[in-house]
Amino acid sequence: MISEKLRVRLTYIAMSAFVTWHTLAMVLAPAPESDVTLLARQALQPYLTFFRLDNQWDFFAPSVGEGSRLRYDVQDRDGKVHAFMPAAELRWYHPNFLWFRSWYYRIIDDPDNFAESAGVIFCRKHAALRPLAITFYEIQEEKFTPEDFAAGKQRMDKDFFSVRMLRGMRCPDP
Amino acid sequence: MSLIRNIQAALTKLAEVWWLIWFQPATTAPLELARIGIGAALLTHYGLATPYLADFWGNAGWMPLRMLDQEYNNNPLVQSLLFYFTAPWQLYLFHYVFLGCCLAFMLGWRTSWVKWFVLIAQISYDYRNPMFFYGVDKILAGLLLILCLAPIGRALSLDRVRAIRKAKRRGGLDATVPLFASEWTTACTRLMQIQMAVLFFYSGISKMGGEDWRAGEAVWTVFTTDEHYSLFFLNLFASHFWLVNFATYGTVFIELAYVFLIWQRLTRPFALAGALFLHSCFALLMGLLYFSFVMMMGHMSFVRPEWLARLGAWWKHRIGPMEMIYDGRCGFCVRSMTWFLAFDGLAQISVRDFRADPSPHVSDAQLEKHLYLVLPDGRALPGFEAYRYAVLRVPGMWWMIPFFYVPVLSRLIGTPLYNWIASNRSRLSSMMRLSPKPQH
Repeated sequence: MISEKLRVRLTYIAMSAFVTWHTLAMVLAPAPESDVTLLARQALQPYLTFFRLDNQWDFFAPSVGEGSRLRYDVQDRDGKVHAFMPAAELRWYHPNFLWFRSWYYRIIDDPDNFAESAGVIFCRKHAALRPLAITFYEIQEEKFTPEDFAAGKQRMDKDFFSVRMLRGMRCPDP
Repeated sequence: MSLIRNIQAALTKLAEVWWLIWFQPATTAPLELARIGIGAALLTHYGLATPYLADFWGNAGWMPLRMLDQEYNNNPLVQSLLFYFTAPWQLYLFHYVFLGCCLAFMLGWRTSWVKWFVLIAQISYDYRNPMFFYGVDKILAGLLLILCLAPIGRALSLDRVRAIRKAKRRGGLDATVPLFASEWTTACTRLMQIQMAVLFFYSGISKMGGEDWRAGEAVWTVFTTDEHYSLFFLNLFASHFWLVNFATYGTVFIELAYVFLIWQRLTRPFALAGALFLHSCFALLMGLLYFSFVMMMGHMSFVRPEWLARLGAWWKHRIGPMEMIYDGRCGFCVRSMTWFLAFDGLAQISVRDFRADPSPHVSDAQLEKHLYLVLPDGRALPGFEAYRYAVLRVPGMWWMIPFFYVPVLSRLIGTPLYNWIASNRSRLSSMMRLSPKPQH
C-alpha cells in the first residue's frame, strides 16, 4: 500500500508529465524543420499520427494563391460537346461545397488515379445525353488585380485563366 | 547549507507556480461550452453527409481502399474503423451510431464514454478519406482529444441533470449537487487554450512569409478566387482598396496579438472579442461556417468560469426568486418536480410543500387543485401557467419552450392535460407506486 501523500504526489507527476508531453506535441507539430524539431519528432511522431494531430496551421498561407476549377466536356454520340463546370452547382452554405470541391481538386491534382472513376460517375449522371466520351480540364485562374476590375474586365475573361487538359476517356456502355 | 536551502526554496516556488498554472481547481464550464458547440457542429456536418455516405467513405466511392496504401505508405499507426467496416450496412450503422453519439455528446448524456466514440469516429472518417481533410478537421482532432481527456459532462449536461435528480430523489427537492471542480479540469482547459494560441501563432507567422500578405493584398486575392468569389466585395474593395489593406493586416495582427494578449486578465476580453470577430467575418463573408464555428468553440476555453457565474447571477437577479408550491403528499407530483427542477441549474426556483409549510400567498384549498408558482411581485400562477412561466425564465428549461409556447395549441392542450393530471394525481401515484419520501 502506498501512502496517500505519495499517491497524490505520483498523480501530480503523471499529470505534469502528460501536459508537458501534449504541449510539446502541439507546439512542435507545426514547427519548421530543424535538428531539434526533427529529433523531438522521432519521439512524438507516433502520437501525432495516431491521433491525427500532425497539422500545419497555415490557413491561406504563405500565399493565398490563385484558384483552379474543374471542367469536363461530355461528347455525345452525335459528336456534340457539352461543357460542365460541376462546382457551379454547389451552394456555399452547404458542406457539399467543401466535399465536392475536395474531390474536384483531387481529380485535378491526380488525374491518373481519380479521373477514371469520376468519368464513370459523370457519364452516368449525363446518361440522357447518350455520352460517348468525357474529357477533364483544369481551369487555372491567373492574377486578377483591382486595376483589371476597375478597367471593366471580368474574372472569367480569357486573359485571366488558362486551360490544361487533364485526361480523356470513353464512357462505359450504358 | 544556505545554498541548498535556497535551491529548495526556489524549487518549491517553481512547483507552486507550476501548480497555479496547471492544477488550480476549476469548473468544467468553459469546456462544456466547447463540447456543446462541437457536438452540434459535428451532428449538423455529418448529418448532412448522410445522403453521400457511400460516395464519400464507401469502398466503391471516391476513395477506394486500395488508394490509401500509397497515401499512407502502409503506416500501421494510421488507423480507421472504416478500414474494417467495408460493407455498406456496416458503414451506415457506423454513421448512425456516430450521429447518435454526437447528439449525446452535445447534450452531455453518458458523456464519459460517448466522447471517446466521437473522437474515434472523427479520426476514422478523416483517415478513411483524406481528400476531405482540411482546416476544421485538423482543429477538431486536437480539440476532441483534449475534451476526451477532460472530465466533461459535469455541467450544462444531461449527466448533471441526472445527478441532481438522483440527489433530489434521495435527499428531497431542496437537495442539489455542488459544481464539479478539479485540478485535471484546469490542466485540460489550459491544454485547449495552448492549442488555440499555438494555432493562431503559426497561422499568423506563416502568413507573414507570403508576399500577398506582406503587401496587404491577400484579402483581395481571396475574393477573386472561385471558392470565395464575390462581385460585391470586389466592387467595394476596388473603390476602397484601403479596406483590403486593413483587413489583411488586421487578420495577421489579431492572430499574432492573440497569442500574447489572451493570457492577461485585463487584455483577455479584447483578444477574445478580436478572435470571435475574425471568425465571424470568415463565416459571414467567406462562407466558412463550419470552420469558424468550431474555432469559436475552441476559443471558449478562454472564457473564465467566473464570467459565466456572473452572467448566471445577473440573470437570476433579473428574473427574481420564484417559489413553487406543491403537494408533498403526492408521490407523482414530487417525482415530476424532481425531474423539472433538475434542469434549474441556477437554482432560481425554491420549493414549498404546502402540507408541511402553508403558503402566505396561496390558500390550501387552491393548492389542493393545482401546483402554484409565486412570482417576485407576489402574483401566483396555477398549474400549466406556472410551468409556462418558469420554462421561459430558467435557462436549463429553454429546450421545453417549443412545447409550452406554440400559439393557442400549447394552452389548448396543456391546460386540460395539467388539470386532468392534477385531479388524478393520487390515482397516478398509486398506479405508479410512487410514495412521497419525507422532504427536508
